[in-house]
Amino acid sequence: MTSSPTLSRRSTTSGPAPLRKSRQGGADARAGYTFLLPWLLGFIALTVGPMISSLYLSFTNYNLFEPPKWIGLDNYTTLFQDERFLQSVGVTVGYVVFGTPLKLAAALAVAMLLNSKRRGQGFYRSAFYAPSLIGASVSIAIVWKAMFGDNGPVDQGLSIFGINLGGWVGNPAMTMPMFILLTVWQFGAPMVIFLAGLKQIPNELYEAASMDGAGPVRKFFNITWPMLSPVIFFNLLMETIHAFQIFASAFIISNGEGGPAGSTLFYTLYLYLRGFSDFRMGYASAMAWLLVIVVGIITLIFFRTSKSWVHYSGDSK
Amino acid sequence: MINRRHFLTTVAVGTASAGVLAACGTGSSTSGQTGSAENPVTINYTWWGNDDRAERTRKAIALFESKNPDIKVNGNFTDFAGYWQKRATEAAGGGLPDVMQWDLSYLRDYGQRNQLLDLSTVKINTDAFEKSLLPSGQIKGKTYGIPTSTNAFAVYYDPAKLASLGIAEPDGTWTYKEFNDFLTEVGSKSNGALFGGTDYTGVWWMFNVWLRQNNIEAFTSEGKLGFTKDDLKKWWNLTAGLRGTPAIVSEERVTQLAPKSPFGSNVTATEVTWDNFMAGYLGDSGAKELKLVPVPSDDPDNLGLFLKPSMLMVASAKTKFKDAAARFIDFMVNDPEVGQIFKTSRGVPASKTQRDGTTFEGTDKIVVDYETSISQYLKDAPEPPIVGFGTLESSFKRIASDLNYGKLDINGATDAWFKEAEDLIKQNA
Repeated sequence: MTSSPTLSRRSTTSGPAPLRKSRQGGADARAGYTFLLPWLLGFIALTVGPMISSLYLSFTNYNLFEPPKWIGLDNYTTLFQDERFLQSVGVTVGYVVFGTPLKLAAALAVAMLLNSKRRGQGFYRSAFYAPSLIGASVSIAIVWKAMFGDNGPVDQGLSIFGINLGGWVGNPAMTMPMFILLTVWQFGAPMVIFLAGLKQIPNELYEAASMDGAGPVRKFFNITWPMLSPVIFFNLLMETIHAFQIFASAFIISNGEGGPAGSTLFYTLYLYLRGFSDFRMGYASAMAWLLVIVVGIITLIFFRTSKSWVHYSGDSK
Repeated sequence: MINRRHFLTTVAVGTASAGVLAACGTGSSTSGQTGSAENPVTINYTWWGNDDRAERTRKAIALFESKNPDIKVNGNFTDFAGYWQKRATEAAGGGLPDVMQWDLSYLRDYGQRNQLLDLSTVKINTDAFEKSLLPSGQIKGKTYGIPTSTNAFAVYYDPAKLASLGIAEPDGTWTYKEFNDFLTEVGSKSNGALFGGTDYTGVWWMFNVWLRQNNIEAFTSEGKLGFTKDDLKKWWNLTAGLRGTPAIVSEERVTQLAPKSPFGSNVTATEVTWDNFMAGYLGDSGAKELKLVPVPSDDPDNLGLFLKPSMLMVASAKTKFKDAAARFIDFMVNDPEVGQIFKTSRGVPASKTQRDGTTFEGTDKIVVDYETSISQYLKDAPEPPIVGFGTLESSFKRIASDLNYGKLDINGATDAWFKEAEDLIKQNA
């Protein structure tokens, strides 16, 4: 994608550039686009097309059987009077706000532990990374459900310490901690990125700090954190967007219903129920677009505030 | 080497021939409404169910094909939840299968939107059917579905579990108070090890039975609600004293056991539901024997019970093989050998010809005997529920579960359900 604007600019350039070069550039551009074509076709047919049609549908009443009826902004305005919708927003925001920072903290902590040179580091890195490979799978959601059920390993384990919570799956107050644990456990992907970032920090900085008598806490806040801030920013952004999209595990653990008592009615799950169980595709499309807009705004806010805390090498700040 | 001209020519020829082939396809099929043994027509048939039903259906299809060499049946199945998503997308694309197994809850959604064939326009023999049953497949004078089989509401219990607690088996003549007392007795005698039952007020169809006991229609013929908020409050108040006691299983347990039922998991002594779930419950619970008795009623002469088509056979409005589809439906609902293949796994066969041609033993006999025993109390089957009924049924269950969790009180739950129902009715008007 990044190369195509350059190519097209060159190919359309006329005037000062010699004729031969321009023709050469046109051929380059053609070759470029030819190689891009498979991706471009897929992108237009499978992403842009459906997005535009869902934007249109979000202004209609569409039940899949009859042609969509234009109803203007009705879907968007009814959303805010829909208690189930507001509940799904609450559940999802809670999950993003608590789950993402905890997950990143776990990822960073483990990455720092694994950054030292010890025997068997390769093994530990793979072991900690594995959950994020399989974590989104259906089987893990099923295992999770069994682990947190009545008399499951978690219930029994806590009983040893005299904590009798019963099963978490059926308890509306405990389902959110269960989902947060599930996402925190999948810290492998951000951990690997953190590890790569930590390796980039020159060791001299730590050595110099030690000479000046800085302790580990001071070194973390004055060296690791600022040097790692672009990586932290990247991980925060990706994981936040990712958290908004939680679906599969919620669908499986709650049997696609968002229960108990609506405590796992995540945004995307409600969207799915509206579209495919209630046949209200227009409504579901409006929900999808609202999510796109909100995630876009959050990303924008992240980028705006990043100037004050993200330091790129070569910055004068 | 592929050069541009050669490539374009190939594509052009390919596209053109595909068009010609497509034209041939439509041409031959419109003219070929009926096939012959040498040149049979192929119809698509789809159903929901497990492997057991798939095996039985394959046998039935093989039998049909041997008796009708001019028709081939191409079968396909999924589970119940995925079934309706698939049909919705097919209907949107105009490609529903020729013949489908159908559920009453979705008959209006598709029938009223002109997706299903009016079966009174084709030849299907319904002489052997109870006249009171057929209207449940009809909407505004058109017949969209033919019932394959019937089911009725019942109270299941496990005699062995009751005996171990020293509780006498019920005979099924009970008021709601007596039924509640029975549930409480199970819970207290077992010291909470066995719950009396699930909260039966969370089951839409039991509410429907209760409405009929009180001579109230669930839905008017205009597709509006036939009952008031007060009716629903009264209904949810019936078990108000039992929630949170060992008489009924806690919602936490129900959620954890899902998709298995508490009764199938041996957590409760009774369950109020359709009588054709027998085989499933026996399999899940491992119980030796389960028995069926009628549901409670405060009016001993009006049990509010009815036979509902447990499933229907329908055809797509766009099928090109109306005649073949009709013959297949006729065969599936009437043929005695098909009854022998399915027994009561689809419910009790609706057609007398099929029912009489089937030998019922063991579990199958319990279900058939139950439906015979209540026959004097049966009323006409309800009309097909309103458009979007599937959604209403699941929101009824969900809101009743919120009630059990204490998230909503009875007034709040009633308001919440009515709001969703009225919104849905307005949406589909």
